[in-house]
Amino acid sequence: MKPFEKIKFEKREDVNPLGRTLAIVVALIAAMLVSAILINLANASPVEAFINLFKGAFGNKRAALETLNKATPLILTGLATVIAFRGKIWSIGQEGQFFLGAIGGYWAYRIFEGLPAATLVPIIIFGAFLTGAFGGMLAGLLKAYFNVDVIISTVMGNYIIDYFLSFMLSGSGPWREPGSYYQQTAPIAENAFFPVLFANARLHLGFLIAIACSMIVYLILNHTPFGYQLRAFGSNPRAAKFKGININKIIIVTMFISGGLAGLAGTGELFGVQYRLRPDLSPGYGYTGIIVAMLAGLNPIGVIPAAILFGALINGSAQMRIATGIPTALTSAIQAIVLLSLLSAQVLTRFRVRRAEHAE
Amino acid sequence: MEGNKHPETTPDTEETYLLEAVQLTKRFPMVLANDKVDFKIRRGEIHCLLGENGAGKTTLAECLYGFYKPEEGDIRFNGRCVTLSSPNDAIHLGIGMVHQHFVLVEPLSVIENIVMGTDHKGVLLDFSATEKKLQSLCELYDVNIDLNAKIWQLSVGEQQWVEILKALYTGVKLLILDEPTAVLTPPEADRLFAVLQRMKSEGLAIIFITHRLKEVMQVSDRVTVLQKGRKVATVNTKDVTTEELAYMMVGRKVVFRINKDEVTRGDPVLQLNDLMAKSDMGLEALHEINLTLHNSEILSIAGVAGNGQKELFEVIVGVRKATAGKVIIDGKDFTNHSPRSIANEGISHIPDDRIGAGLISDFSVEENLFLGLEDNPPYRKGLFLDKKYIQKYAGDCISKFDIMTPSVNQRTSYLSGGNLQKVILARELRQSLKVLIANQPSRGLDVGVIEYVHKQILEMRRNGVGILLISEDLDEIFTLSDRIAVMFKGRILKIFNAQEAELESIGLLMAGITDKESQ
Repeated sequence: MKPFEKIKFEKREDVNPLGRTLAIVVALIAAMLVSAILINLANASPVEAFINLFKGAFGNKRAALETLNKATPLILTGLATVIAFRGKIWSIGQEGQFFLGAIGGYWAYRIFEGLPAATLVPIIIFGAFLTGAFGGMLAGLLKAYFNVDVIISTVMGNYIIDYFLSFMLSGSGPWREPGSYYQQTAPIAENAFFPVLFANARLHLGFLIAIACSMIVYLILNHTPFGYQLRAFGSNPRAAKFKGININKIIIVTMFISGGLAGLAGTGELFGVQYRLRPDLSPGYGYTGIIVAMLAGLNPIGVIPAAILFGALINGSAQMRIATGIPTALTSAIQAIVLLSLLSAQVLTRFRVRRAEHAE
Repeated sequence: MEGNKHPETTPDTEETYLLEAVQLTKRFPMVLANDKVDFKIRRGEIHCLLGENGAGKTTLAECLYGFYKPEEGDIRFNGRCVTLSSPNDAIHLGIGMVHQHFVLVEPLSVIENIVMGTDHKGVLLDFSATEKKLQSLCELYDVNIDLNAKIWQLSVGEQQWVEILKALYTGVKLLILDEPTAVLTPPEADRLFAVLQRMKSEGLAIIFITHRLKEVMQVSDRVTVLQKGRKVATVNTKDVTTEELAYMMVGRKVVFRINKDEVTRGDPVLQLNDLMAKSDMGLEALHEINLTLHNSEILSIAGVAGNGQKELFEVIVGVRKATAGKVIIDGKDFTNHSPRSIANEGISHIPDDRIGAGLISDFSVEENLFLGLEDNPPYRKGLFLDKKYIQKYAGDCISKFDIMTPSVNQRTSYLSGGNLQKVILARELRQSLKVLIANQPSRGLDVGVIEYVHKQILEMRRNGVGILLISEDLDEIFTLSDRIAVMFKGRILKIFNAQEAELESIGLLMAGITDKESQ
């Protein structure tokens, strides 16, 4: 008899929070072990690498604040994913809407440039939310009235926005910094900077906005009729339709909010971190946001720790690389390993392993 | 491996049973599904396994079919102790089972499906020999089916024949049928019963699992009643009455004839004028439907499934567009209005597909209890849901409708069918109701719950609600209705007053036979 025949997976009814936490710890340990093999192959010491990874992420106050800074856009793009995915609206447009937010914020900045910071910054934030939301809403409208698949429309939308930005920053484009060799705008004036929260650190207003947004998304999902309808639609669209839930409205409004949240992420990076609009403003924050949301189990509060974990990996890996000399590609590989282990743990906690009944 | 593949060597002594299960016990993580059950079946016998949902009927059958292995107890086949490690062992012994959910390959033909599911020798499949054997089986048992048709072309009832043929083809001596009539229309069920009698006279033993008392009385020789995993009794069918069986099954007295008060019907509340609609396939599904439903009246739509009842239900509720005609509620035109505005006008509905169209199974019981009401005060307070009020309301619903759930926060998918229906009733039978559209409200429910549902419907009628009852169950229709409309191919053929209606004439009309043709 083959040994594997005797092991059975059974679906678990409910997973308790303790089991969940334990699974995450086990997954992180497993990820470290697998990563250790890779680091070893790169002729570096895994222990040293991990110590540096941790130091780089949380070693001192400044490192920790920088980790939160890296987590900020991920919280927002993660939330953008959570709200759409809760309704089983598979939007992949967070990356594009991130840039739309940056474009909208920059546009508002150019119009209202001269205003004092106290009015200019709110206007920028508002403009960014609206442009991102507009992009999301377009996909929602296409889905609601023409039944265009949201995955397709949002992915295509990402390209359109990407090329639009390239055009705006091209040699003859209107936003190109005059005389600059690079595709970028002129630096932003200081009165439009998002205020920093601590001296000597880059953590800015965007972080507070992100935390507030996760509370708001939590409230929307769990305490408003709209969120209830969205979840109902996500779980059983047929029953939702029979019970008179306006499905088109749900799709359009959800995509509006989702796009707006991603837009806030983009504008935060522009006015809080980079101070110039460039095509590489995002190293894939939109897509990473999807991963963050999945890790958080589509829970808007869970998005915060999930984003911080990713922020830590991004932030800490720089020091790990410098201290141990392992190649850059390896740091992305380690991030992927962490992700895969966490996702597997999440799936596995939903099952219990049982020895199958003894067959004679 | 003792007992497997042993030829029949034991002679038939007077009281040798074909199959005996002795003190069978099967445990699942949370429940004791079968508790020391004794079960015996003779050759040439139709033996019903009767019990409510969750009584352990299917588990017992799956043990006899080798799908589950019981923790305790013996199974004897032909007087010999056997160990069934898998359905293969059972099939080798000559035990076949037709499950509720069929295992057929849709793009393949009947013959191909049957050849595939059986052992064959040699490299090539011998279709012509199979076809010959199948044809003789069909003739023997009087089964009428096109053996070369693809599965997807067949109706659900016909697919069931394929499953039965598959079992017969392997040469079963004992055939287990798990709730076979659940997917059949009344005429199809009658045909099945006739074939079962033929099989019985050929010496086959048949285990017939059901929770419908009428079928037990109609088809079986003996019946074993299970309740909560325990055997209550095995009796000869001719020695018991329906009432006695119901008592054994439910453990309390069940009222079959519900007292229907004399209520005078009120004013028209729902009118359908020349209503037309198309099916999902774009074909005409409703043809000039004219109906008037009054307050305090139960108007039934009788008909075999698929004659437009689904479309009628959906048009009234607002999820399907009417292509012509009018839906008038209380004198106001509500044709093609949104489901929400129709619901807000006081129209409730009970869908036939509880889990698919009536509930969100991922939601808690509490959340399901206000589905569709979330925008209306007092469930909503300003921008937010009033969780406090909702919790109180849900608690009231649970006690008023006797919903069995550990808490209001229980995930709905863990509830039993009867309790799911009670959640829907609790939500739909609200105070301001004008019209209730009930589509198959008792389908698949236990007698106890059916009685409950019927009482609730009559209570609504007493309160002045107009009820449109769509049902395939003629007993239900005759129990409840004031008027009966017979529907066939999207048309209302005739409307009877319930007192004057005869079962025969309605049955004929359901099959589309009008007086003119039959004479």
